[in-house]
Amino acid sequence: MDEVRMVRGHYPEPAPPTAQEIARAKALLKEPQRRSLPRLRWGLGGMVAVGVAAAVAITLAGGNPPAPPGPVHLDDRGMFLAAAEKAERQPTGNYWYVSQIGGHSYIMRARTGTYAVTGAHTESFSWWGAKPGMGEAFHSRVIPARPPTERDMALWRRAGSPSSFRVWSADSYSTYTTRAEKWRVDTRSGGGEFPGGLSSGDLRSLPTAPAELAERFLSRTAMRAAGALRPSAGREAELAGTKFMRVASLLAAPVPPKTRAGLMRALTTQPGVHAVGRATDPLGRRGIALASDGRATTVTGEFGAPKAEQGTYHSRAVIIFDERTGALLSQQEELTRPGGPYAEMKPGFVINYWTIRSAGWADARPTLPTGLPFG
Amino acid sequence: MTGDPPPRPAECFDEVFDAYFAEIHRYAARRLGQDAAADVAAQTFLEAFRQRRRYDPERASVRTWLYGIATKVVGRHQRAETRALRARARLGPGRDAEEHTERIDARVSAEGLRGKLAGAIAALPRGQRDVLLLVALADLSHDEIAAALGISYGTVGSRLNRARTTLRRALGGTNPILTLEEQHG
Repeated sequence: MDEVRMVRGHYPEPAPPTAQEIARAKALLKEPQRRSLPRLRWGLGGMVAVGVAAAVAITLAGGNPPAPPGPVHLDDRGMFLAAAEKAERQPTGNYWYVSQIGGHSYIMRARTGTYAVTGAHTESFSWWGAKPGMGEAFHSRVIPARPPTERDMALWRRAGSPSSFRVWSADSYSTYTTRAEKWRVDTRSGGGEFPGGLSSGDLRSLPTAPAELAERFLSRTAMRAAGALRPSAGREAELAGTKFMRVASLLAAPVPPKTRAGLMRALTTQPGVHAVGRATDPLGRRGIALASDGRATTVTGEFGAPKAEQGTYHSRAVIIFDERTGALLSQQEELTRPGGPYAEMKPGFVINYWTIRSAGWADARPTLPTGLPFG
Repeated sequence: MTGDPPPRPAECFDEVFDAYFAEIHRYAARRLGQDAAADVAAQTFLEAFRQRRRYDPERASVRTWLYGIATKVVGRHQRAETRALRARARLGPGRDAEEHTERIDARVSAEGLRGKLAGAIAALPRGQRDVLLLVALADLSHDEIAAALGISYGTVGSRLNRARTTLRRALGGTNPILTLEEQHG
Protein backbone atom coordinates (compact mmCIF):
# COMPACT_ATOMS: atom_id res chain seq x y z
CA MET A 1 0.00 0.00 0.00
CA ASP A 2 1.42 3.34 -1.03
CA GLU A 3 -0.09 5.92 1.29
CA VAL A 4 0.80 8.84 -0.94
CA ARG A 5 -0.94 7.25 -3.90
CA MET A 6 -3.95 6.50 -1.72
CA VAL A 7 -4.12 10.06 -0.49
CA ARG A 8 -3.91 11.33 -4.05
CA GLY A 9 -6.60 8.91 -5.16
CA HIS A 10 -8.94 10.03 -2.43
CA TYR A 11 -8.94 13.71 -3.27
CA PRO A 12 -11.49 14.00 -6.05
CA GLU A 13 -10.93 16.16 -9.08
CA PRO A 14 -12.47 19.59 -8.39
CA ALA A 15 -14.18 21.79 -10.96
CA PRO A 16 -11.84 24.26 -12.67
CA PRO A 17 -12.17 27.97 -11.85
CA THR A 18 -14.91 29.81 -13.71
CA ALA A 19 -14.10 32.62 -16.11
CA GLN A 20 -15.61 35.02 -13.60
CA GLU A 21 -13.39 33.76 -10.78
CA ILE A 22 -10.32 34.09 -12.97
CA ALA A 23 -11.28 37.60 -14.05
CA ARG A 24 -11.92 38.63 -10.46
CA ALA A 25 -8.57 37.27 -9.26
CA LYS A 26 -6.79 39.01 -12.09
CA ALA A 27 -8.56 42.28 -11.41
CA LEU A 28 -7.27 42.19 -7.84
CA LEU A 29 -3.73 42.41 -9.16
CA LYS A 30 -4.58 45.69 -10.82
CA GLU A 31 -5.53 47.21 -7.50
CA PRO A 32 -2.23 47.03 -5.66
CA GLN A 33 -3.28 49.77 -3.24
CA ARG A 34 -5.33 47.22 -1.31
CA ARG A 35 -3.48 45.97 1.69
CA SER A 36 -5.33 42.83 2.38
CA LEU A 37 -8.37 40.95 1.32
CA PRO A 38 -10.89 41.65 4.01
CA ARG A 39 -13.23 42.79 1.26
CA LEU A 40 -13.18 39.38 -0.27
CA ARG A 41 -15.79 37.28 1.37
CA TRP A 42 -13.90 34.20 2.32
CA GLY A 43 -17.04 32.23 2.64
CA LEU A 44 -15.05 29.24 3.63
CA GLY A 45 -15.08 29.11 7.41
CA GLY A 46 -18.74 29.99 7.50
CA MET A 47 -19.66 27.76 4.62
CA VAL A 48 -18.03 24.63 5.85
CA ALA A 49 -19.05 25.25 9.43
CA VAL A 50 -22.67 25.72 8.43
CA GLY A 51 -22.53 22.61 6.28
CA VAL A 52 -21.15 20.54 9.10
CA ALA A 53 -23.67 21.85 11.58
CA ALA A 54 -26.51 21.15 9.18
CA ALA A 55 -25.30 17.64 8.51
CA VAL A 56 -25.02 16.96 12.21
CA ALA A 57 -28.47 18.31 12.90
CA ILE A 58 -29.92 16.16 10.15
CA THR A 59 -27.98 13.13 11.25
CA LEU A 60 -28.95 13.42 14.84
CA ALA A 61 -32.57 14.50 14.62
CA GLY A 62 -35.29 12.02 15.36
CA GLY A 63 -37.25 10.63 18.26
CA ASN A 64 -35.75 8.16 20.67
CA PRO A 65 -38.15 5.46 21.80
CA PRO A 66 -36.93 3.65 24.89
CA ALA A 67 -34.87 0.54 24.31
CA PRO A 68 -36.87 -2.67 24.51
CA PRO A 69 -35.27 -5.03 27.02
CA GLY A 70 -33.35 -7.65 25.10
CA PRO A 71 -33.42 -11.36 26.02
CA VAL A 72 -30.61 -12.18 28.42
CA HIS A 73 -29.12 -15.68 28.63
CA LEU A 74 -26.38 -16.84 30.90
CA ASP A 75 -24.04 -17.35 28.00
CA ASP A 76 -21.39 -15.35 26.16
CA ARG A 77 -23.96 -13.04 24.68
CA GLY A 78 -25.60 -12.58 28.07
CA MET A 79 -22.28 -11.72 29.67
CA PHE A 80 -21.62 -9.24 26.90
CA LEU A 81 -25.01 -7.58 27.36
CA ALA A 82 -24.42 -7.37 31.09
CA ALA A 83 -21.26 -5.38 30.30
CA ALA A 84 -23.38 -3.11 28.10
CA GLU A 85 -25.55 -2.38 31.12
CA LYS A 86 -22.48 -1.20 33.04
CA ALA A 87 -21.75 1.26 30.23
CA GLU A 88 -24.97 3.04 31.12
CA ARG A 89 -23.61 4.33 34.41
CA GLN A 90 -20.52 6.44 33.66
CA PRO A 91 -19.91 10.06 34.80
CA THR A 92 -19.02 13.23 32.80
CA GLY A 93 -16.56 16.18 33.20
CA ASN A 94 -14.87 19.18 31.51
CA TYR A 95 -12.35 17.46 29.24
CA TRP A 96 -12.71 14.25 27.32
CA TYR A 97 -9.45 12.40 26.69
CA VAL A 98 -8.49 9.28 24.78
CA SER A 99 -5.16 7.51 25.10
CA GLN A 100 -4.56 4.91 22.38
CA ILE A 101 -1.92 2.51 21.19
CA GLY A 102 -1.78 0.80 17.82
CA GLY A 103 0.61 -1.63 16.24
CA HIS A 104 1.03 -4.25 13.57
CA SER A 105 2.76 -7.62 13.87
CA TYR A 106 5.62 -8.53 11.61
CA ILE A 107 7.41 -11.83 11.30
CA MET A 108 11.16 -12.03 11.85
CA ARG A 109 12.54 -15.20 10.32
CA ALA A 110 15.79 -15.49 12.26
CA ARG A 111 18.09 -18.49 11.87
CA THR A 112 17.67 -19.10 15.59
CA GLY A 113 13.87 -19.30 15.28
CA THR A 114 10.98 -17.30 13.87
CA TYR A 115 9.36 -14.74 16.13
CA ALA A 116 6.92 -11.86 15.87
CA VAL A 117 7.58 -8.22 16.54
CA THR A 118 5.06 -5.38 16.91
CA GLY A 119 6.07 -2.50 14.64
CA ALA A 120 4.40 0.66 13.30
CA HIS A 121 3.85 1.05 17.00
CA THR A 122 2.25 4.34 17.91
CA GLU A 123 0.79 5.91 20.98
CA SER A 124 -1.56 8.86 20.84
CA PHE A 125 -3.10 11.03 23.49
CA SER A 126 -5.83 13.50 22.67
CA TRP A 127 -8.17 15.67 24.61
CA TRP A 128 -11.09 17.90 23.78
CA GLY A 129 -12.55 20.70 25.90
CA ALA A 130 -16.27 20.26 26.43
CA LYS A 131 -17.10 23.88 25.62
CA PRO A 132 -15.96 26.33 22.92
CA GLY A 133 -12.76 28.11 23.96
CA MET A 134 -11.54 25.26 26.12
CA GLY A 135 -9.20 24.02 23.39
CA GLU A 136 -8.19 20.62 22.14
CA ALA A 137 -4.89 18.81 21.68
CA PHE A 138 -3.50 15.87 19.82
CA HIS A 139 -0.22 14.21 20.81
CA SER A 140 1.40 11.23 19.20
CA ARG A 141 4.69 9.40 19.29
CA VAL A 142 6.33 6.32 17.93
CA ILE A 143 6.88 3.78 20.69
CA PRO A 144 9.42 0.96 20.61
CA ALA A 145 8.92 -2.04 18.38
CA ARG A 146 8.78 -5.10 20.64
CA PRO A 147 8.20 -8.85 20.64
CA PRO A 148 4.58 -9.16 21.82
CA THR A 149 4.67 -12.37 23.89
CA GLU A 150 7.04 -14.10 26.31
CA ARG A 151 7.82 -16.66 23.67
CA ASP A 152 8.59 -14.00 21.04
CA MET A 153 10.72 -12.23 23.63
CA ALA A 154 12.76 -15.38 24.27
CA LEU A 155 13.31 -15.99 20.57
CA TRP A 156 14.27 -12.37 20.06
CA ARG A 157 16.92 -12.75 22.75
CA ARG A 158 18.17 -15.92 21.15
CA ALA A 159 18.51 -13.98 17.88
CA GLY A 160 20.86 -11.59 19.69
CA SER A 161 18.30 -8.99 20.90
CA PRO A 162 18.42 -6.89 17.73
CA SER A 163 17.35 -3.27 18.16
CA SER A 164 16.10 -2.79 14.66
CA PHE A 165 13.77 -4.86 12.54
CA ARG A 166 13.64 -4.78 8.77
CA VAL A 167 10.23 -6.12 7.82
CA TRP A 168 8.08 -6.55 4.76
CA SER A 169 5.13 -4.21 4.98
CA ALA A 170 2.49 -4.50 2.26
CA ASP A 171 4.60 -3.37 -0.69
CA SER A 172 8.07 -2.54 0.57
CA TYR A 173 10.52 -3.07 3.39
CA SER A 174 10.25 -0.87 6.49
CA THR A 175 12.57 -0.70 9.44
CA TYR A 176 11.27 -0.34 12.98
CA THR A 177 13.48 0.12 16.02
CA THR A 178 13.32 -0.40 19.77
CA ARG A 179 13.63 3.35 20.29
CA ALA A 180 10.80 5.60 21.42
CA GLU A 181 10.47 8.95 19.70
CA LYS A 182 9.46 12.26 21.29
CA TRP A 183 5.85 13.28 21.55
CA ARG A 184 4.63 15.41 18.66
CA VAL A 185 2.15 17.94 19.89
CA ASP A 186 -0.60 19.73 18.04
CA THR A 187 -2.55 21.97 20.37
CA ARG A 188 -5.45 23.89 18.96
CA SER A 189 -7.85 26.51 20.11
CA GLY A 190 -11.44 25.45 19.75
CA GLY A 191 -13.25 23.10 21.99
CA GLY A 192 -16.88 22.18 22.25
CA GLU A 193 -16.42 19.58 19.56
CA PHE A 194 -15.45 15.96 20.09
CA PRO A 195 -13.96 13.37 17.74
CA GLY A 196 -16.31 13.04 14.83
CA GLY A 197 -17.07 16.77 15.02
CA LEU A 198 -19.95 16.33 17.44
CA SER A 199 -20.87 18.73 20.23
CA SER A 200 -22.18 17.63 23.61
CA GLY A 201 -25.65 18.51 22.40
CA ASP A 202 -25.27 16.39 19.27
CA LEU A 203 -24.10 13.48 21.35
CA ARG A 204 -26.94 13.86 23.83
CA SER A 205 -29.50 13.72 21.04
CA LEU A 206 -28.21 10.42 19.67
CA PRO A 207 -30.72 7.59 19.94
CA THR A 208 -30.29 4.85 22.50
CA ALA A 209 -32.41 2.07 20.97
CA PRO A 210 -30.19 -0.63 19.43
CA ALA A 211 -32.37 -1.04 16.33
CA GLU A 212 -32.34 2.67 15.63
CA LEU A 213 -28.59 2.91 16.20
CA ALA A 214 -28.01 -0.09 13.95
CA GLU A 215 -30.05 1.47 11.19
CA ARG A 216 -28.36 4.84 11.59
CA PHE A 217 -24.77 3.68 11.83
CA LEU A 218 -24.44 0.04 10.84
CA SER A 219 -26.76 -0.31 7.86
CA ARG A 220 -25.18 -0.65 4.45
CA THR A 221 -26.55 2.74 3.41
CA ALA A 222 -25.21 4.48 6.48
CA MET A 223 -21.78 2.90 6.26
CA ARG A 224 -21.53 3.66 2.58
CA ALA A 225 -22.53 7.28 3.17
CA ALA A 226 -19.86 7.50 5.85
CA GLY A 227 -17.28 6.18 3.42
CA ALA A 228 -16.73 3.08 5.54
CA LEU A 229 -17.90 0.77 2.79
CA ARG A 230 -17.30 0.31 -0.88
CA PRO A 231 -20.29 -0.29 -3.17
CA SER A 232 -18.69 -3.66 -4.00
CA ALA A 233 -18.64 -4.73 -0.35
CA GLY A 234 -19.61 -8.34 0.22
CA ARG A 235 -22.40 -10.16 2.06
CA GLU A 236 -23.87 -8.67 5.23
CA ALA A 237 -22.05 -11.20 7.42
CA GLU A 238 -18.72 -10.12 5.91
CA LEU A 239 -19.25 -6.58 7.13
CA ALA A 240 -18.95 -7.48 10.83
CA GLY A 241 -15.36 -6.26 11.10
CA THR A 242 -16.27 -2.97 9.45
CA LYS A 243 -19.09 -2.57 11.97
CA PHE A 244 -16.64 -3.08 14.83
CA MET A 245 -14.50 -0.28 13.44
CA ARG A 246 -17.53 1.90 13.02
CA VAL A 247 -18.60 1.43 16.61
CA ALA A 248 -15.02 1.86 17.84
CA SER A 249 -14.68 5.18 16.06
CA LEU A 250 -18.05 6.34 17.41
CA LEU A 251 -16.94 5.41 20.90
CA ALA A 252 -13.84 7.62 20.62
CA ALA A 253 -16.26 10.44 21.42
CA PRO A 254 -17.95 10.81 24.82
CA VAL A 255 -21.07 9.07 23.62
CA PRO A 256 -23.65 9.13 26.43
CA PRO A 257 -23.73 5.91 28.43
CA LYS A 258 -27.16 4.79 27.21
CA THR A 259 -26.17 5.27 23.56
CA ARG A 260 -22.89 3.49 24.22
CA ALA A 261 -24.80 0.58 25.68
CA GLY A 262 -27.22 0.71 22.75
CA LEU A 263 -24.35 0.48 20.26
CA MET A 264 -22.94 -2.56 22.07
CA ARG A 265 -26.36 -4.21 22.04
CA ALA A 266 -26.82 -3.34 18.37
CA LEU A 267 -23.55 -5.06 17.52
CA THR A 268 -24.63 -8.34 19.11
CA THR A 269 -27.60 -8.63 16.75
CA GLN A 270 -25.65 -8.06 13.53
CA PRO A 271 -25.20 -10.96 11.09
CA GLY A 272 -21.77 -12.56 11.32
CA VAL A 273 -21.12 -11.19 14.82
CA HIS A 274 -20.47 -13.75 17.56
CA ALA A 275 -20.08 -13.33 21.30
CA VAL A 276 -16.90 -15.23 22.10
CA GLY A 277 -16.70 -14.84 25.84
CA ARG A 278 -13.63 -13.45 27.58
CA ALA A 279 -10.53 -12.32 25.73
CA THR A 280 -7.25 -10.60 26.56
CA ASP A 281 -6.06 -7.45 24.85
CA PRO A 282 -2.42 -6.59 23.99
CA LEU A 283 -2.06 -4.75 27.32
CA GLY A 284 -2.99 -7.96 29.10
CA ARG A 285 -6.42 -6.74 30.16
CA ARG A 286 -9.24 -9.27 30.30
CA GLY A 287 -12.51 -8.26 28.72
CA ILE A 288 -15.63 -9.52 27.09
CA ALA A 289 -15.46 -9.92 23.31
CA LEU A 290 -17.32 -10.12 20.03
CA ALA A 291 -15.75 -11.59 16.91
CA SER A 292 -16.50 -11.73 13.22
CA ASP A 293 -16.46 -14.87 11.09
CA GLY A 294 -13.01 -15.91 9.93
CA ARG A 295 -12.10 -14.75 6.45
CA ALA A 296 -9.28 -15.62 4.10
CA THR A 297 -6.57 -13.22 3.03
CA THR A 298 -4.18 -14.18 0.28
CA VAL A 299 -0.87 -12.43 -0.14
CA THR A 300 0.45 -12.79 -3.69
CA GLY A 301 3.70 -11.69 -5.28
CA GLU A 302 1.84 -8.95 -7.14
CA PHE A 303 3.23 -6.16 -4.98
CA GLY A 304 6.65 -7.73 -4.69
CA ALA A 305 6.14 -9.67 -1.46
CA PRO A 306 8.98 -12.13 -0.86
CA LYS A 307 8.12 -15.85 -1.04
CA ALA A 308 8.00 -16.28 2.73
CA GLU A 309 5.28 -13.62 3.00
CA GLN A 310 3.04 -15.17 0.35
CA GLY A 311 0.11 -17.50 0.87
CA THR A 312 -3.32 -17.62 2.46
CA TYR A 313 -4.25 -17.20 6.09
CA HIS A 314 -7.58 -16.82 7.88
CA SER A 315 -8.30 -14.22 10.51
CA ARG A 316 -11.17 -12.59 12.32
CA ALA A 317 -11.90 -9.15 13.72
CA VAL A 318 -12.32 -8.95 17.49
CA ILE A 319 -13.64 -6.13 19.64
CA ILE A 320 -13.14 -6.26 23.40
CA PHE A 321 -14.99 -4.33 26.10
CA ASP A 322 -14.35 -3.97 29.82
CA GLU A 323 -16.73 -6.28 31.61
CA ARG A 324 -17.10 -4.04 34.65
CA THR A 325 -17.54 -0.63 32.98
CA GLY A 326 -18.53 -1.42 29.39
CA ALA A 327 -15.59 0.70 28.16
CA LEU A 328 -14.08 -0.18 24.79
CA LEU A 329 -10.69 -1.79 25.38
CA SER A 330 -9.40 -3.00 22.07
CA GLN A 331 -10.08 -3.76 18.48
CA GLN A 332 -7.83 -6.32 16.89
CA GLU A 333 -7.38 -8.81 14.08
CA GLU A 334 -6.62 -12.35 15.21
CA LEU A 335 -5.25 -15.28 13.26
CA THR A 336 -7.72 -18.19 13.06
CA ARG A 337 -5.98 -20.45 10.54
CA PRO A 338 -2.22 -20.03 10.12
CA GLY A 339 -0.78 -19.69 6.63
CA GLY A 340 1.05 -17.32 4.32
CA PRO A 341 3.09 -14.78 6.27
CA TYR A 342 1.74 -16.18 9.54
CA ALA A 343 2.31 -19.86 8.71
CA GLU A 344 4.49 -20.27 11.79
CA MET A 345 2.15 -18.46 14.19
CA LYS A 346 -0.66 -20.02 16.23
CA PRO A 347 -4.41 -19.30 16.12
CA GLY A 348 -5.14 -16.32 18.36
CA PHE A 349 -1.98 -14.52 17.23
CA VAL A 350 -2.77 -10.79 17.11
CA ILE A 351 -2.01 -9.51 13.61
CA ASN A 352 -2.73 -5.93 14.45
CA TYR A 353 -4.43 -3.98 17.17
CA TRP A 354 -5.84 -0.67 18.14
CA THR A 355 -6.18 -0.43 21.88
CA ILE A 356 -7.62 2.26 24.12
CA ARG A 357 -5.23 2.54 27.03
CA SER A 358 -7.64 4.84 28.78
CA ALA A 359 -10.44 7.22 27.89
CA GLY A 360 -12.66 9.31 30.05
CA TRP A 361 -13.60 12.63 31.52
CA ALA A 362 -11.27 14.86 33.51
CA ASP A 363 -12.07 18.00 35.48
CA ALA A 364 -8.79 19.78 34.59
CA ARG A 365 -6.75 19.73 31.37
CA PRO A 366 -5.53 16.18 30.98
CA THR A 367 -1.78 15.60 31.07
CA LEU A 368 0.25 13.17 29.03
CA PRO A 369 0.54 9.65 30.38
CA THR A 370 3.96 9.11 31.93
CA GLY A 371 6.18 6.23 30.92
CA LEU A 372 5.82 3.85 28.03
CA PRO A 373 2.75 1.63 27.80
CA PHE A 374 4.76 -1.59 27.90
CA GLY A 375 7.19 -0.46 30.62
CA MET B 1 5.01 23.13 -17.36
CA THR B 2 5.66 23.10 -21.10
CA GLY B 3 8.84 23.18 -23.12
CA ASP B 4 8.89 26.97 -22.92
CA PRO B 5 10.93 28.60 -20.17
CA PRO B 6 8.68 29.52 -17.26
CA PRO B 7 7.49 33.13 -17.19
CA ARG B 8 9.44 35.56 -15.02
CA PRO B 9 7.29 36.97 -12.23
CA ALA B 10 8.98 40.35 -11.97
CA GLU B 11 8.61 41.23 -15.64
CA CYS B 12 5.51 39.48 -16.82
CA PHE B 13 3.29 38.51 -13.97
CA ASP B 14 0.29 38.17 -16.25
CA GLU B 15 1.94 35.20 -17.89
CA VAL B 16 2.66 33.63 -14.53
CA PHE B 17 -0.99 34.09 -13.65
CA ASP B 18 -2.20 32.54 -16.90
CA ALA B 19 0.17 29.61 -16.67
CA TYR B 20 -0.54 28.63 -13.07
CA PHE B 21 -3.85 30.03 -11.84
CA ALA B 22 -5.87 26.94 -12.75
CA GLU B 23 -3.32 24.62 -11.14
CA ILE B 24 -3.16 26.56 -7.89
CA HIS B 25 -6.94 26.82 -7.87
CA ARG B 26 -7.10 23.05 -8.21
CA TYR B 27 -4.74 22.58 -5.26
CA ALA B 28 -6.79 24.96 -3.12
CA ALA B 29 -10.05 23.28 -4.14
CA ARG B 30 -8.76 19.87 -3.17
CA ARG B 31 -7.50 21.04 0.19
CA LEU B 32 -10.23 23.47 1.21
CA GLY B 33 -13.20 22.87 -1.05
CA GLN B 34 -14.63 24.36 -4.17
CA ASP B 35 -16.06 27.48 -2.58
CA ALA B 36 -12.85 28.55 -0.93
CA ALA B 37 -10.66 27.74 -3.90
CA ALA B 38 -11.24 30.92 -5.90
CA ASP B 39 -10.52 33.15 -2.92
CA VAL B 40 -7.47 31.20 -1.82
CA ALA B 41 -6.07 31.12 -5.34
CA ALA B 42 -6.74 34.86 -5.73
CA GLN B 43 -5.02 35.58 -2.45
CA THR B 44 -2.06 33.39 -3.45
CA PHE B 45 -1.54 35.31 -6.67
CA LEU B 46 -2.01 38.65 -4.98
CA GLU B 47 0.70 37.77 -2.48
CA ALA B 48 2.93 36.42 -5.22
CA PHE B 49 2.38 39.62 -7.18
CA ARG B 50 3.45 41.71 -4.22
CA GLN B 51 6.55 39.58 -3.65
CA ARG B 52 7.38 39.20 -7.34
CA ARG B 53 10.58 41.26 -7.15
CA ARG B 54 11.85 39.11 -4.34
CA TYR B 55 11.33 35.87 -6.24
CA ASP B 56 14.68 34.12 -6.65
CA PRO B 57 14.87 31.76 -9.65
CA GLU B 58 18.05 30.23 -8.17
CA ARG B 59 16.08 28.94 -5.21
CA ALA B 60 12.93 27.57 -6.72
CA SER B 61 10.93 27.32 -9.88
CA VAL B 62 7.97 29.64 -10.26
CA ARG B 63 5.64 26.71 -9.79
CA THR B 64 7.33 25.65 -6.55
CA TRP B 65 7.33 29.25 -5.31
CA LEU B 66 3.60 29.53 -5.97
CA TYR B 67 2.86 26.25 -4.18
CA GLY B 68 4.80 27.56 -1.21
CA ILE B 69 2.69 30.69 -1.05
CA ALA B 70 -0.54 28.77 -1.66
CA THR B 71 0.32 26.37 1.17
CA LYS B 72 0.82 29.30 3.54
CA VAL B 73 -2.53 30.77 2.51
CA VAL B 74 -4.21 27.38 2.95
CA GLY B 75 -2.54 27.19 6.36
CA ARG B 76 -4.52 30.21 7.53
CA HIS B 77 -7.56 28.08 7.01
CA GLN B 78 -6.25 25.04 8.78
CA ARG B 79 -9.20 24.86 11.07
CA ALA B 80 -11.55 24.86 8.11
CA GLU B 81 -9.52 22.14 6.42
CA THR B 82 -9.55 20.04 9.56
CA ARG B 83 -13.29 20.55 9.90
CA ALA B 84 -13.86 19.48 6.32
CA LEU B 85 -11.76 16.37 6.81
CA ARG B 86 -13.43 15.56 10.08
CA ALA B 87 -16.81 16.03 8.49
CA ARG B 88 -15.80 13.18 6.20
CA ALA B 89 -14.38 11.14 9.01
CA ARG B 90 -17.53 11.62 11.00
CA LEU B 91 -20.39 9.30 11.45
CA GLY B 92 -22.45 9.03 8.32
CA PRO B 93 -25.76 10.72 7.78
CA GLY B 94 -29.11 9.05 8.27
CA ARG B 95 -31.14 7.97 5.29
CA ASP B 96 -33.32 11.05 5.16
CA ALA B 97 -30.25 13.24 5.21
CA GLU B 98 -28.85 11.96 1.97
CA GLU B 99 -30.15 14.66 -0.29
CA HIS B 100 -28.87 17.46 1.90
CA THR B 101 -25.63 15.74 2.55
CA GLU B 102 -24.94 15.32 -1.12
CA ARG B 103 -25.25 19.02 -1.59
CA ILE B 104 -22.98 19.71 1.33
CA ASP B 105 -20.51 17.10 0.22
CA ALA B 106 -20.30 18.59 -3.23
CA ARG B 107 -18.94 21.71 -1.60
CA VAL B 108 -16.39 20.04 0.56
CA SER B 109 -13.04 19.41 -1.05
CA ALA B 110 -12.53 16.27 0.93
CA GLU B 111 -15.50 14.64 -0.78
CA GLY B 112 -14.70 11.10 -1.68
CA LEU B 113 -12.13 10.74 1.09
CA ARG B 114 -12.98 7.72 3.05
CA GLY B 115 -13.58 8.20 6.73
CA LYS B 116 -10.46 6.68 8.18
CA LEU B 117 -8.16 8.33 5.70
CA ALA B 118 -9.78 11.73 6.19
CA GLY B 119 -9.60 11.30 9.94
CA ALA B 120 -5.95 10.35 9.79
CA ILE B 121 -5.07 13.32 7.57
CA ALA B 122 -7.07 15.63 9.83
CA ALA B 123 -5.10 14.42 12.82
CA LEU B 124 -1.71 15.04 11.22
CA PRO B 125 0.23 18.02 12.55
CA ARG B 126 0.10 20.85 10.03
CA GLY B 127 3.75 20.55 8.95
CA GLN B 128 3.34 16.88 8.13
CA ARG B 129 0.05 17.46 6.34
CA ASP B 130 1.56 20.21 4.16
CA VAL B 131 4.46 18.00 3.12
CA LEU B 132 2.24 14.99 2.46
CA LEU B 133 -0.22 16.97 0.35
CA LEU B 134 2.51 18.76 -1.60
CA VAL B 135 3.85 15.34 -2.56
CA ALA B 136 0.44 13.78 -3.19
CA LEU B 137 -1.42 16.67 -4.80
CA ALA B 138 1.32 18.85 -6.30
CA ASP B 139 3.86 16.15 -7.19
CA LEU B 140 6.66 18.26 -5.77
CA SER B 141 9.99 16.59 -5.03
CA HIS B 142 11.61 16.72 -1.60
CA ASP B 143 13.93 19.46 -2.88
CA GLU B 144 11.06 21.50 -4.19
CA ILE B 145 9.06 21.13 -0.99
CA ALA B 146 12.08 22.20 1.05
CA ALA B 147 12.32 25.33 -1.09
CA ALA B 148 8.56 25.95 -1.10
CA LEU B 149 8.18 25.77 2.67
CA GLY B 150 11.60 27.08 3.64
CA ILE B 151 12.53 23.95 5.58
CA SER B 152 15.47 21.58 5.23
CA TYR B 153 15.54 18.58 2.93
CA GLY B 154 15.88 16.32 5.97
CA THR B 155 12.82 17.84 7.60
CA VAL B 156 10.77 17.16 4.47
CA GLY B 157 11.84 13.52 4.57
CA SER B 158 11.14 13.02 8.25
CA ARG B 159 7.76 14.77 8.10
CA LEU B 160 6.73 12.65 5.13
CA ASN B 161 7.88 9.49 6.87
CA ARG B 162 5.96 10.29 9.99
CA ALA B 163 2.84 11.14 7.99
CA ARG B 164 3.13 7.90 6.04
CA THR B 165 3.60 5.87 9.20
CA THR B 166 0.54 7.44 10.74
CA LEU B 167 -1.57 6.75 7.65
CA ARG B 168 -0.21 3.25 7.28
CA ARG B 169 -1.21 2.53 10.82
CA ALA B 170 -4.61 4.13 10.40
CA LEU B 171 -5.36 2.44 7.11
CA GLY B 172 -3.41 -0.72 6.76
CA GLY B 173 -1.59 -1.46 9.93
CA THR B 174 -4.67 -1.72 12.06
CA ASN B 175 -7.36 -1.69 9.50
CA PRO B 176 -7.56 -4.99 7.67
CA ILE B 177 -10.93 -4.30 6.08
CA LEU B 178 -9.78 -1.20 4.29
CA THR B 179 -6.62 -2.93 3.21
CA LEU B 180 -8.57 -5.83 1.83
CA GLU B 181 -10.92 -3.49 0.03
CA GLU B 182 -7.97 -1.68 -1.46
CA GLN B 183 -6.52 -4.87 -2.80
CA HIS B 184 -9.53 -6.82 -3.85
CA GLY B 185 -12.52 -4.48 -3.80
